[in-house]
Amino acid sequence: MLSLRLLLFSKEWRELTVSRAYWLLLLAVGPLVGHSFINAVNLYAEASGVGGGPGALPQGLTPLDGMLAPTFGAYDLAVTLLFPFVAIRLIAAEKESGAAKLGLQLPFGVGETVAAKLLALAAGWLIAWLPGLIAVAMWRAYGGHLYAPETLNLLLGHCLRMLLSAGVAIAAAALAESAASAAIVTLGFTVGTWALDFIAAGRGGWLATLAAYTPTAALRYFEQGLLRLSAVFVMSAMALGGLAIAAIWLHTGRKIGARLLRAAVLMGFIAVAVWLGSLSRASWDASENRRNSFSRADEAALRRIYEPMRITVNLAAEDPRLMDYERGILNKLRRILPRLEVDYAAQSRTGLFEGAEESYGEIWYELGGRKVMNRSTTEPIVVEQLYQLAGITAPANSDEPVFPGYPLAAHPKGASLIFYALWPLSVISAWGLARHRRR
Amino acid sequence: MNLLTVNGLSKKFGARAVLQNVSFSVRRGEVLGLIGPNGAGKTTLFECLAGVLPSDGGALISNKQVLAPAQRKNALFYMPDGVTPWAEQSVIWALEFFERLYSASVKAPDLLDALKLESLRHARIGSLSKGERKRLLLALGLLTPQPLLMLDEPFDGLDLRQMRDVMASLRSQAERGRTLMLSIHQLVDAARVCDRLILLSDGRVVGEGTIDELRAQANLSDGGPSEAGLAEAGLAKAGLEEIFLALT
Repeated sequence: MLSLRLLLFSKEWRELTVSRAYWLLLLAVGPLVGHSFINAVNLYAEASGVGGGPGALPQGLTPLDGMLAPTFGAYDLAVTLLFPFVAIRLIAAEKESGAAKLGLQLPFGVGETVAAKLLALAAGWLIAWLPGLIAVAMWRAYGGHLYAPETLNLLLGHCLRMLLSAGVAIAAAALAESAASAAIVTLGFTVGTWALDFIAAGRGGWLATLAAYTPTAALRYFEQGLLRLSAVFVMSAMALGGLAIAAIWLHTGRKIGARLLRAAVLMGFIAVAVWLGSLSRASWDASENRRNSFSRADEAALRRIYEPMRITVNLAAEDPRLMDYERGILNKLRRILPRLEVDYAAQSRTGLFEGAEESYGEIWYELGGRKVMNRSTTEPIVVEQLYQLAGITAPANSDEPVFPGYPLAAHPKGASLIFYALWPLSVISAWGLARHRRR
Repeated sequence: MNLLTVNGLSKKFGARAVLQNVSFSVRRGEVLGLIGPNGAGKTTLFECLAGVLPSDGGALISNKQVLAPAQRKNALFYMPDGVTPWAEQSVIWALEFFERLYSASVKAPDLLDALKLESLRHARIGSLSKGERKRLLLALGLLTPQPLLMLDEPFDGLDLRQMRDVMASLRSQAERGRTLMLSIHQLVDAARVCDRLILLSDGRVVGEGTIDELRAQANLSDGGPSEAGLAEAGLAKAGLEEIFLALT
């Protein structure tokens, strides 16, 4: 049976490599990654004081923000706008050509066939990662620093992003009549998640919970060096759910009613799995500068707060103070206080028309019947406030090592040649060779 | 001896009944022709039998056991008409894929030779003409091991010489004990290659048997006219076309 499955995988792999969409993806991804990498290295060098100007504070220079996230950000673009077409083709071409009728009779289950398609896509995506990996190798060659946990965490995020995109695209291709309809559904999903991301910014409740798992938002955690179990679980559950829906729907030998029922039951399970997954607060800060955590001493002290805490924030979604507060305080508190509730009380999106309100800018902390207000969004002040509210003695100044920062005043030597010339030439040559060998 | 029995198969598309209580049997080692005009329900019948399309009622029975759709892929293989599977791949790849998949005793190069596909060995499937594609699909079907092979319109698009070659290949398969069921709308072709025939009209089986048996059924269905009546109706030595017209 293993050899049969290998045969099925090799068929799907061949089908992927005859797809023009896949070769175009490979062709485009090199210059995309290259452009991001070259810009990132140049900006990093400027911030590091290249050309004699003053360098930024070294603590602010991290390869995760400065090089890895922007370089691999090109893959977010590729996985959103190019990869779905590759995935859709793998299903739609068989439906449209009639090969699906033969496929149903082959000695494999529909689930196995969908799994083989996913594996082929994943293998193809790994090849598309080559420019990114070349960029990482070049960074090291320039003398750049890398911290393995945050690098691997970012790669995991992009893997899950690809899995989610594949799940959505394959499900759309299975459900839609044609490749064009599937593409519209997939892009509709993407645009819908962007809209959700925008609408939910600075709001609490279920909308914010849901928006935390849109592909863009979920990837953001990984780009920040945070490994959230809930993000991993929800992204995996949604992706596998999409694939399972495809497997149900492609079984055309079953009546539509039966397929609808199975799909509805499955979607119920997915919804429950996503909800349960989202409840998990477990997370690991993989960033080298511990940007998602308070100092170890503060964390230990704040973990002693067992009572439910409610924070009411009177800041509008687009107020930069709210963004600072989210990143610097709330995200860290959410990781260590399991019973934290945040209420976003501002009424408007920009805060322009709330400026006159006296309460605008207030942040209220409520714990065990005690209530205190503070307008600060600065970490030491807020933490001190929390200690007072909870009646906890602040820990002594910790001797935790300070993140040193890694300035690098390097030029992206050779990058243009590799990403703009050698990579496209290699892809075109491999494409030609693959076509020749098929004959 | 029956290989399969189809019992009361029915299928509707919306309000339109495409198959109505279709029942017949398939005998081991025979070439069974499914004939009927366009729209009679031949392809739908094949797709329901193969489990590619769900039926609304009825059963497929083998060895006194009802075959669920999931079990049918072990009992039969259906080769559809008008499909261009894996259009970007080469002819030899498709044949070798099936050969490896089923560990077929027949080898792909032999089939290339037998079905005059040798010169197209490395051709892209999507570039084949209708007749060439038809022969490729037949070759793929011949590489499958199921006891029953169902071919939808196997002669459509073939010229006279190709048709003769394909018929010879099919007869040789049947002689080796494989059962074939062919959907054919050209009655002359059906009469030449099939051992028995099923006449399908408006989703109903209107006759089943050899040409002689069908001739007799045409007689019986009229309430049993006399020899003189048969002669007068032109059915005593009637061909399949006349029989079909008499039965529908």
